[in-house]
Amino acid sequence: MEYFLQQLINGITLGSVYALIALGYTMVYGIIQLINFAHGEFFAAGGYVGVIFMSYLLSQGAPAWVCLSGSLILAMAYCAMLAVAVERVAYKPLRNSSRLSVLLSALGMSIFLQNGLMLTQGVYDKAYPTELTQGGFEMGNVMLSYMQLFIVSLTAFLLVALNLLVFKTRMGKAMRSTAQDKVMSALVGINANRTISITFAIGAALAAAAGIMVGLYYGSVRYDMGFVPGIKAFAAAVLGGIGNITGAMIGGFIIGMVEIFAAGYISGEYKDVFAFVILIAVLYFRPSGIMGENVDDTRV
Amino acid sequence: MKRLFMTVLLAAAVIMLGSGMAFAKTLKIGTMGPLTGPYAADGVDIKNGVLTAVEVMKANGGIPGFDDIEVLPQDTACEPRQAVATANKLINEGVNGVVGSYCSSATLPASEVLDEESIIMITPASTAEKVTTRGLPYMFRMCGRNDDQSKTAVKFMTDELKAKTIYLVDDKTAYSQGLADGVEKMAAEAGIKVLGHEHVNQGDKDFSAILTKVKTEKPDVFYMSMQNSATGALMLIQAKRMGIKAAIIGQDAVYHPQLMEIAKNAAENVYLTFGYTDKEAPAYKEFDAKYTPLHGNIGAYSGYAYDSAMAYMMAVKAAGSTDPAKVKAELMKLDYNGATKHVKFQANGDSGSDYVIFKVKDGKFTTYWNPATGLY
Repeated sequence: MEYFLQQLINGITLGSVYALIALGYTMVYGIIQLINFAHGEFFAAGGYVGVIFMSYLLSQGAPAWVCLSGSLILAMAYCAMLAVAVERVAYKPLRNSSRLSVLLSALGMSIFLQNGLMLTQGVYDKAYPTELTQGGFEMGNVMLSYMQLFIVSLTAFLLVALNLLVFKTRMGKAMRSTAQDKVMSALVGINANRTISITFAIGAALAAAAGIMVGLYYGSVRYDMGFVPGIKAFAAAVLGGIGNITGAMIGGFIIGMVEIFAAGYISGEYKDVFAFVILIAVLYFRPSGIMGENVDDTRV
Repeated sequence: MKRLFMTVLLAAAVIMLGSGMAFAKTLKIGTMGPLTGPYAADGVDIKNGVLTAVEVMKANGGIPGFDDIEVLPQDTACEPRQAVATANKLINEGVNGVVGSYCSSATLPASEVLDEESIIMITPASTAEKVTTRGLPYMFRMCGRNDDQSKTAVKFMTDELKAKTIYLVDDKTAYSQGLADGVEKMAAEAGIKVLGHEHVNQGDKDFSAILTKVKTEKPDVFYMSMQNSATGALMLIQAKRMGIKAAIIGQDAVYHPQLMEIAKNAAENVYLTFGYTDKEAPAYKEFDAKYTPLHGNIGAYSGYAYDSAMAYMMAVKAAGSTDPAKVKAELMKLDYNGATKHVKFQANGDSGSDYVIFKVKDGKFTTYWNPATGLY
């Protein structure tokens, strides 16, 4: 029982990270039907901005909460701007061309950003100041570290904030209507370009937050860290029904849980296999994903 | 007419190019190692080690008969196919000798190609037994061998730690799994109970599921076989956070300053098997004095790469030519104290293993236990 509980905690933590990254995929897909393969790189870039700024703040003697929140805000802001720039350069000019060209542009952007990170930050891992994140609660043999608690609660907070933004604000309304029909919403006075940019920015900011949490939790970041979680989060978004925010969250948690439980109860080397078997099975029986509706009715 | 003119011009250009090369004689040393990808840190260390050796050689007067020594670094990315491609590229560029590569899985196929052209290859880092057991005449090795490494690890577990149980985790590379399998077999023979042997995937960051298993099984020794020091560091951080009490033993691939930089105090008291190097020896100090200002921290394989390049250049100097048979004869004659170890090649190309147990103490690798003599 203790073993199960411990694995459950591990699974929820990993699932939170996937969920946060998956949101960006799903939002961008929802609004312009693009699988943004460069999304994993926003996650990596966020991790780097976080570690650079956090180390600086720590060396200046700032208290832990200032380091954490300061670098979090800065990394989110930086990645939001980066995403807007990427959208302008690589996606906007291609918006009316075939889906394949935009997809290739996204892949190219991913490689470009990854190599950019490698060339500017070096091939070595960059260490996070892990002294901020030690300790936790121990109940019997079950460990719940402060860091896990931090990851789960920050994810929950960001998810609630995002839901409020999308479903309760004018901005969210504009996003939803642009997702439904770009031309018609432009006719009623919604600035589609601005709305798309904002969607990109929000998605990238969430990925940046995930990047910082991963860096803090696991201890380091490296230039190619975006690739694998990017693929997993993409799978999570598809699993949940791409274009659907609640679906992306659920998908993220499912992929994280399956991965941990497969590693914990079956075998570590097969964990990815099981995660993707679940994905295939769900898509086979429910092609639109768990929360997905009809394909044309995608919404942000 | 025009075609004839062009042909003559081209022929003239080729002749001039050829004669130009004959005047300026350059010794070309290729390096092979991963300069990109997850093992890039080690590949860069190898390249830097060779560059340092060349600097030192030039500062000491160079090699008579050669105007210059050139280093041609190649990126194998630790992939067998790319390793073969880079070996061919080096052959095309006319290298005389090669130092590399890092991953055994890249060294093995590349050495076949180089050996066909009778190009001497000295690996500073590939520890798989097969590298030198295939009987290739021009393959040499500066580092130790996996079988000796696992023997040292198991001897340490039985003699010093008095371990009864062990749990192994590797990351499924030819190197790490081979090593873990060797340790598992020898530990079982020595009467240590194997509680489990798990594998993780390369590129994984989350080891919480596997480590929870380790914690539940409560082994005396947790043998961590990772091909990457950064990954090893992540595993140590998570193991500490989880509260694993077992003695953790790693190996030479995680022996890198990066380990402490990332894991910080989670790396404290971790044991590792690595070749013994006397850091007070004059040859090591000479290497250190040249390397550190140029390239920063000395990596795990920088020293072996330095010694490999040095040995090769000394052999060329002694032979007075780059003729592979003559250079090989001189290499076999070498008997001196290098920066990292005593260099004396055996008939099969190995230079001998000298694995001891290191322990991380106050953020430094300190020699802790010697299989021959016990505690330091």
